[in-house]
Amino acid sequence: MPVVRIDLKRFSKMVGADRRTILERLPYVGLDIESVDKDSVRVEYSPNRPDFGTDYGIARSLRGLLGKATGLRNFPTSPSGATVSVDRRLSAVRPYIACAMVGGLDLDEEDIRQIISLQEDLHNGLGRKRRVVAIGLHDADAVDPPFSYRGVGSSFKFMRLGGEGPQTVGSILSDTAEGRAYGGILARRALYPVIVDSKGVVLSLPPVINGNATRVTKKTKRMFIDVTGTDGKACDDVLAVIATTLAEAGGKLGTVTIRYPGKPKVTPDLSPLELPLDEGLVRSVLGLELTKAEMVRYLARSGLGVRGRKVLGPRYRVDLLHPVDIAEEVALGYGIDRIGPIYPPSKEPGRLDRFEEYLDSASTVMAGSGMIELMTFELTDEGTLYSKFQRPAAARIAVQNPKSSEHSLLRDALIPSMMSSLSGNVKSDYPQRVFEIGRVYRREGDGVSESWHLGCLVAHSQSSFTEAKMHLESTCRIISGKEAEAAEARHWMFAPGRCASVTFGGNGIGFVGELGPEAIDAFGLGVPVSGFEIDLSSLFELLK
Amino acid sequence: MSSSLHPIEQKILAALAPVGSMSFEALVAGTSLNEDQVRRALQWLSSKALVSITETVQSRLEVVRRPPELELFRKVTESSRLLTVEDLKEEFASAEEFSAAFGRARSAGWIKVEGEAMPAVWVVDPKGPENLNSLLESVSAGKGEGDLTAEQAALMQDLLKRGVLRRVESRSTSVAITEEGRASAGVSGTADLIERLTPEVLASGGWKGKTLRPIDVEAKAPRFYPGRRHPVRDFIREVRETYISMGFTELQGDSVQPAFWNFDALFIPQDHPGRDMQDTFYLEGLSDRRLKRSAVVANVAAVHESGWKTGSRGWRYVWDIEEARRLVLRTHNTVLSVRSLSEEGERERRVFAVSKVYRNESLDYKHLAEFYQMDGIMVGKGLNVRHLMGFLVEFYKRLGMSEVKLWPTYFPYTEPSLEVVGYSKAIKGWIELSGSGVFRPEVTWPLGVRVPVLAWGPGIERLMLMRYGLDDMRALYGADLEWLRSRVELASSQD
Repeated sequence: MPVVRIDLKRFSKMVGADRRTILERLPYVGLDIESVDKDSVRVEYSPNRPDFGTDYGIARSLRGLLGKATGLRNFPTSPSGATVSVDRRLSAVRPYIACAMVGGLDLDEEDIRQIISLQEDLHNGLGRKRRVVAIGLHDADAVDPPFSYRGVGSSFKFMRLGGEGPQTVGSILSDTAEGRAYGGILARRALYPVIVDSKGVVLSLPPVINGNATRVTKKTKRMFIDVTGTDGKACDDVLAVIATTLAEAGGKLGTVTIRYPGKPKVTPDLSPLELPLDEGLVRSVLGLELTKAEMVRYLARSGLGVRGRKVLGPRYRVDLLHPVDIAEEVALGYGIDRIGPIYPPSKEPGRLDRFEEYLDSASTVMAGSGMIELMTFELTDEGTLYSKFQRPAAARIAVQNPKSSEHSLLRDALIPSMMSSLSGNVKSDYPQRVFEIGRVYRREGDGVSESWHLGCLVAHSQSSFTEAKMHLESTCRIISGKEAEAAEARHWMFAPGRCASVTFGGNGIGFVGELGPEAIDAFGLGVPVSGFEIDLSSLFELLK
Repeated sequence: MSSSLHPIEQKILAALAPVGSMSFEALVAGTSLNEDQVRRALQWLSSKALVSITETVQSRLEVVRRPPELELFRKVTESSRLLTVEDLKEEFASAEEFSAAFGRARSAGWIKVEGEAMPAVWVVDPKGPENLNSLLESVSAGKGEGDLTAEQAALMQDLLKRGVLRRVESRSTSVAITEEGRASAGVSGTADLIERLTPEVLASGGWKGKTLRPIDVEAKAPRFYPGRRHPVRDFIREVRETYISMGFTELQGDSVQPAFWNFDALFIPQDHPGRDMQDTFYLEGLSDRRLKRSAVVANVAAVHESGWKTGSRGWRYVWDIEEARRLVLRTHNTVLSVRSLSEEGERERRVFAVSKVYRNESLDYKHLAEFYQMDGIMVGKGLNVRHLMGFLVEFYKRLGMSEVKLWPTYFPYTEPSLEVVGYSKAIKGWIELSGSGVFRPEVTWPLGVRVPVLAWGPGIERLMLMRYGLDDMRALYGADLEWLRSRVELASSQD
């Protein structure tokens, strides 16, 4: 989740509240405090509230909840006169663009830091790593409208942000960090989008990098914002968030006319969004008998207005999808901590699942036999599962792109991970007697079947097939009341000649045996190991 | 009298009685007690005048090294030819050692040097070293200083100075039983003691009129490790019992799920960053071909695209069934809850599941790739946020967390959404315990459920760390036998 760093002195002025109140109330806006120090606090916010990407946006919400500035905030705009003509060929590349002109700015370093951080969060969140939306911020005084958003070839040259001279698009894409990171979004097209002013100055090569001429600094008084992407609504959402944030910072918003090949569009459109006020729904979800007037008052604290049966929200509240979202806004305005909990007593007795109970009792039986219970991970690695047992990995079930190779394959048996556990305990006293009850996976066509196994290992200098079989037989007897039968067999887990299959009335449920010296050696153990592994799910079915 | 004696005292008296006196070492060996036990018991016995203890200091001689002149004389006598001084010098490790040996052998008159051009070494007195040799043999054989002749005594003084010999002092403790001790030892009573009960003794009635010989009941017994259930299993048991005490029925289900149930049915848009491979384990090359455009699937698709008839705006994109067919290791157990809604509809009920969830994480002290969640839902007309809050407060109280708060938060599938935080005395702060909320209409309506559904999905590991005083989640699943064998059972009781 994205994080915003808030300078407490600056924020305290913005909100008009002291440090203690701020720290106490931030969680009630829906923000997680990640860390606090003398001067600042770092808060995590959810990407569904992109307007929380700067201290301006958070202060706006907190002022509302504290009753210092309530109601729907209006964001007036006036035409800036600037236009952007759109190249029809871009409809196959990056079809949408939304722009705004913001004047009257007087930004300090912290303002710029906040806005850049918001830009990054929007790129990663709503922008889906710039694939869906990318944002360019420009010093508007460095360029002359009208602008054009057009497609160019890879040999088109301009000076990129931080570049040392004109460079071709092809070279920017292959030779710069930004090009390598984001060029892929445009890949396999001979056409690259650029935004150019009336004199041919390049503002941006979206979604990769800006031009060098329009760098934003503390001296920037007027800002031109371009938002391009593959989803028109997402572009409008992102522009609304940035434009309204700059308005909070003192900017005057100017609209830009986008001349699409069809009909033109004026951006940003900051008219409030509307949702029905479903009073009954609010009351039933919150369990509070509120009058409409009360709802209106609490919604005002959440920065929302009410007109007739409609709730009006500022354009950046892209998280408001359904009338039920209004119920939460009422709750926030009311104060989550003022809502009294009610525990509803149960009308029926509870019931444990029979199979879960069976697994739990198997654990009790094994512990009663003197075994220590292990719980290992279901995802394991090639070595543990296959190569140390010298068996082919043909039926392996792999996860895609695991962060660690130790957790890359789903196990089909417990004993491999249990052996791995024993190898981590060679310094502990022997005898070591361990068991595990866990889920294992088997490939079945395109899918996977799951079952629960019981594995048991006995490791000490006198460990033998007989000891393993004794535990197997006693366990099966106690769990099922029936005798397990053994027949000579071969299995990759155990040594040939020291392995038997375990059956119940002719149905195979597992194997018992001594581990071979190759496996014992591969796991770095110095004592004989014997054990068994049975399928508790199959046994459960047989006992039904 | 003997009954007032400690079994260890009795053991010692019994060992001493037949022989009268023994050295301390022999007593330790003879009783199979350890030195501390014997030492302690002797103090008691001596203070009761049942034994007398004599300490003697003995001094004896010890050969530190062989004098080098003996080695030199041996080389000269055993050589098959005449040796020059130079020849001999080469036989020694250092010039100093040679000249000391040579000087002594010559001044003692054992050897001489003769010859002009090439001076050779000749034996003068073949029996010269006899005195020295016999002294060394006597010492090695353990003879004391008093046993030496006057001549040997003089030689001994010289060798002590040279460091060839040294004096070693040793203390020895001898223990003798006194008359009172002998009486207390009950020497005459050994016939009335039984060493071990055996089936034969029991069957024959030979035990009648006899008593069991007292043994050392304070000595350490061999170490034993009882079998034990895993602490996570015990904690899960406690959670399950807490749930049923609140009227919940247990669910279980598969870990491998189509993305449809894990994400789509929970109104998580298909391009949501949480669905990335970065966070989710997708199974390589596998998919759920059985997932067809059923009514439920069509409803879910419509709710994503346009909100369907729920009154929602929807996410506004084109929903793709192929994406929904991909198989994932469930990232949360909420998947079991929605499947239950899909199967059982609006029937009023409370269900829960405690099972594993999987996230593509690198392991560190607060992240695991597999961990447990204890999800639950309550379905029923008239349920609201206050009931959700009431349940959560009560649930955590029963699990030993009495101080909890509820903060607003966000999940794509609940509205309102609440985060449960609990106060940790260890870190003096609030820690996240659970996400929770009321399922959105976009989640329940496509499954045919119009009544409120309250849902929550707490982890168990954080609570367990608090209970066991651990600060690293990996410790719970590290299979460290030392910990699993020795963890204190009472730690699992509530704080």
